[in-house]
Amino acid sequence: MLDSGLTNATTARQGLVVETLSVAFPSRAGWLQALDAVSLEIPPGGVLGLVGESGSGKSTVLLALLGLLPESARLGAERLAWGGHDLLRDAASQRGRRLGMVFQDTAAALNPALTVGAQLAEPMRVHTGLLPRQAWARGVELLAETGLPRPQEVMWGYPHQLSGGMKQRVGIAIALAAEPDLLLLDEPTTALDVTIEAQILALLDQLRASRGLSMLLVSHNLGIVDRLCDRVSVLYAGRVAETGPAGAVLRRSEHPYTRGLLAALPRPDRSHVGRLAPIPGGLPDLTLPDPGCNFRPRCPFAEPGCEQPQSLAGSAHRVACHRAEAIAGQPWPVDTTPVASPSAPSVAGPVVEAEGLSVSFRSGGWLARTLGRGRSVQAVDGVSLQVYPGEVVGLVGESGCGKSTLGRLLLRLIPAEAGTLRFAGRTVGSRPNLGFRRRAQIVFQNPDTSLNPRQTVATILGRAVRWFEMVEPHAIPAEIDRLLDLVQLPRRYAGRFPHQLSGGEKQRVGIARALASKPDFLVCDEAVSALDVSVQAAVLNLLRDLRDKLGVAFLFISHDIGVIAHIADRVIVMFHGRVMEQGRTASVLHPPYHPYTELLLSSVPLVGKPHIAIPAPVTRPPAEPGGCKFAARCPRHLGPICDTTPPPWQLAEAGHGILCHIPVADLAAVPHWLARSEDGPTR
Amino acid sequence: MTAIALPRLRTPSPLLLGGIVLAVVVAACLVGTVVTPYDPTAFAVRARLQPPSALHLFGTDEFGRDVFSRVLAGGYLSLATGFGAMVISLALGVPLGLLAAFHKGVVQEAIMRGVDLMISLPPILLGLLILAVTPPGLLKTIAAVGLVYVPILVRLTRAVALGLLEEEFVQAARARGEGAVPILWYEILPNAWPPIIVECGLRITFAILLGSALSFLGLGPQPPASEWGLMIADGRGFLAQAPWLCLAPGLCLCMLLVSVNLVGEGLRERLDPHSSGRGGHA
Repeated sequence: MLDSGLTNATTARQGLVVETLSVAFPSRAGWLQALDAVSLEIPPGGVLGLVGESGSGKSTVLLALLGLLPESARLGAERLAWGGHDLLRDAASQRGRRLGMVFQDTAAALNPALTVGAQLAEPMRVHTGLLPRQAWARGVELLAETGLPRPQEVMWGYPHQLSGGMKQRVGIAIALAAEPDLLLLDEPTTALDVTIEAQILALLDQLRASRGLSMLLVSHNLGIVDRLCDRVSVLYAGRVAETGPAGAVLRRSEHPYTRGLLAALPRPDRSHVGRLAPIPGGLPDLTLPDPGCNFRPRCPFAEPGCEQPQSLAGSAHRVACHRAEAIAGQPWPVDTTPVASPSAPSVAGPVVEAEGLSVSFRSGGWLARTLGRGRSVQAVDGVSLQVYPGEVVGLVGESGCGKSTLGRLLLRLIPAEAGTLRFAGRTVGSRPNLGFRRRAQIVFQNPDTSLNPRQTVATILGRAVRWFEMVEPHAIPAEIDRLLDLVQLPRRYAGRFPHQLSGGEKQRVGIARALASKPDFLVCDEAVSALDVSVQAAVLNLLRDLRDKLGVAFLFISHDIGVIAHIADRVIVMFHGRVMEQGRTASVLHPPYHPYTELLLSSVPLVGKPHIAIPAPVTRPPAEPGGCKFAARCPRHLGPICDTTPPPWQLAEAGHGILCHIPVADLAAVPHWLARSEDGPTR
Repeated sequence: MTAIALPRLRTPSPLLLGGIVLAVVVAACLVGTVVTPYDPTAFAVRARLQPPSALHLFGTDEFGRDVFSRVLAGGYLSLATGFGAMVISLALGVPLGLLAAFHKGVVQEAIMRGVDLMISLPPILLGLLILAVTPPGLLKTIAAVGLVYVPILVRLTRAVALGLLEEEFVQAARARGEGAVPILWYEILPNAWPPIIVECGLRITFAILLGSALSFLGLGPQPPASEWGLMIADGRGFLAQAPWLCLAPGLCLCMLLVSVNLVGEGLRERLDPHSSGRGGHA
């Protein structure tokens, strides 16, 4: 008895041990080596971040731990154990019980047909044998622990009644239901807005402290890994490239891949400086694993010796690169193509000029509408803006704030209910002519759905060229070649179908299609959001070059403030259909800023950003129709005036306006969001 | 790490298998309109209800007519009903479905409520309505059966197109200012084909069966024509003594239907651009 108790205690202290885990999947071309001798370790109470781009094998690690790999997969490991329990032999008894799992897409992870209570009570009944009544009571406690207001009501609610952040809290509560001691988090905040993300990260931090939970956080976002994890392992194409304490790996990175990732990341604190450094090339072919360093083909520091197998060397901070020390001082090579200085603000008038654009969406069928029961949401509420030739205007805001709707209003893809739109000085009617269509184009977010899967690249581009009669019919192939050159794709791609291209290549085709008509104005709707960091950097550079070369004006819609800060000349901050703040990028990223901008900026997770406490989410009754839209969530709420009186548009400086009751001087008196006054970023 | 090539299952492709069977059936039916071993309508009272033999492959019926010859001679009627009806359903259903998806509002309501009205009537009744007022004839049977299946294709096409219209590549076409016809023709239709083709395979089979049912009710081809449905109907009375009277046309019908469905399924797979292999994945 005593003996077994002792061994249990010692094995429990082992935490998670993964030794040389290899996983291969069958594919047409042979076995695809998704993981190649990956070793990881999490001590009890520790938090490990597993970082890598898509295709690096992050999710495969989670599936292997949970024993949920498909039957056809080939799995091998020296050890795969949690707290001494062999997960290779029997993961089924542990998953959901000692290993809790939180998924990325909570909308898909929760069953829409069951109440929250039923889904929360189920794991407790299965794993802990609680009676339904006890499980229910425990569920209420768990929901309260995850910070949900009114947990009793939430228990009876269905997932569709909850917001994204609330769903993720429910997801965490379900993962905690069977009292696990290891929480597996698969991109838990990727689908959420930054402000909600910050709250969920704070919750995870707090749960870790209160419950002594161990966590394995899988993410592509280096900022949230830095925020939450003690240790980090960087995964590249199925192998661990670098592992060690979070601070060391992310701030004193030694492996070229980690350094490349950090160099490719657009950061709001390095606003508008030159070009990003994308990592050239793409993932290696995993069906033919390279015995040497598999990052070699993309590595700027590669030299003879790299074709030898690399092992993780070092003690605490270990790196799979034999040249790690030799290259320590060498900077990551930055694309030195001279950046054409942004064209001087032209004296010509704005290319796009919107005045009081508004649109609302009604829900409910025609019956509900005639009975006056349909609900109406003011998606865009009296927005005025100008975009000048060759200018990049960034549009930021949370999901549902009307960013995309505004973009489509400016292209007259949806009819506006009020307001006027002028393009190059001429009023654009609600049914614009082809001339406007030719000159105002759009690039979409999702490269997978923005290209017709049954058309070749040549057809996709050719349709646009032909439609606008850009060239004589016999010159169309040459024009397609020109467009492919413009977006830096090989000409032979003309014959390919979209599914034969990578995400970044598809996005380039989407850009080429928009450029086919030689537009003056381009709406980029989250055009780089679906791309991996290294690819995103290349596409951002491309967009910038196009702006410099062709003088196209952009409306760049993004939820990523880093991207906006990098590419935009001016920024518009939107909240619930209203412009809250507008001004030059450098001005908007410095105080004075609107309380909402401040909240957004302080929520952004950034590598190396000092952790500042984020104001607790405020919930106040919504303001009256005339009041400030942000009043209900404002951490700096002044009093009844915010709820009842429309806030004034105050000019902080020429061209920098803020829609707020708080005097500009008070708004300016807040600390810089990076909270480093001495070495704050230069304007 | 040694890469082991996966053992590939060598199954004949459904397209090939179905195509061969279909070609044989169609060829036999075409030949059957010109020559048959015996005269399909000649009575031979002494040789009535003979079981299948070397002389009479499928036996003989109650009037001593050679069943094999009758099956061959009448096959074109079934084929014409099936394929003809499908062409009519496609020609009407697909454009209506696309229009209903594209033009929300009055156009959609008009088309879809009309479709609801047609669906609310049982297919046989609808066929009866169309045929009863005029004398029967092959072309009218085809038209009637084709009309019966228009609503199903309208609904299917509309459902598929509605999903596709939300895709970003359609929005890109709208941003170019393209109207209904180019968007539906270039962007929607190529992506909407696969489910429509599979549905067509099924519809051909149902159309043949419905055509047979209408013949059975006396509204299709009339005796002595040897439409397969009619033959099954006639043979019904002799099911106990001479099962081959029903079995022979029944099995032929069955073979035709299976091969049509195999071809439909095979076409769907062949048309999927993803099956053409992933090249240059970088």
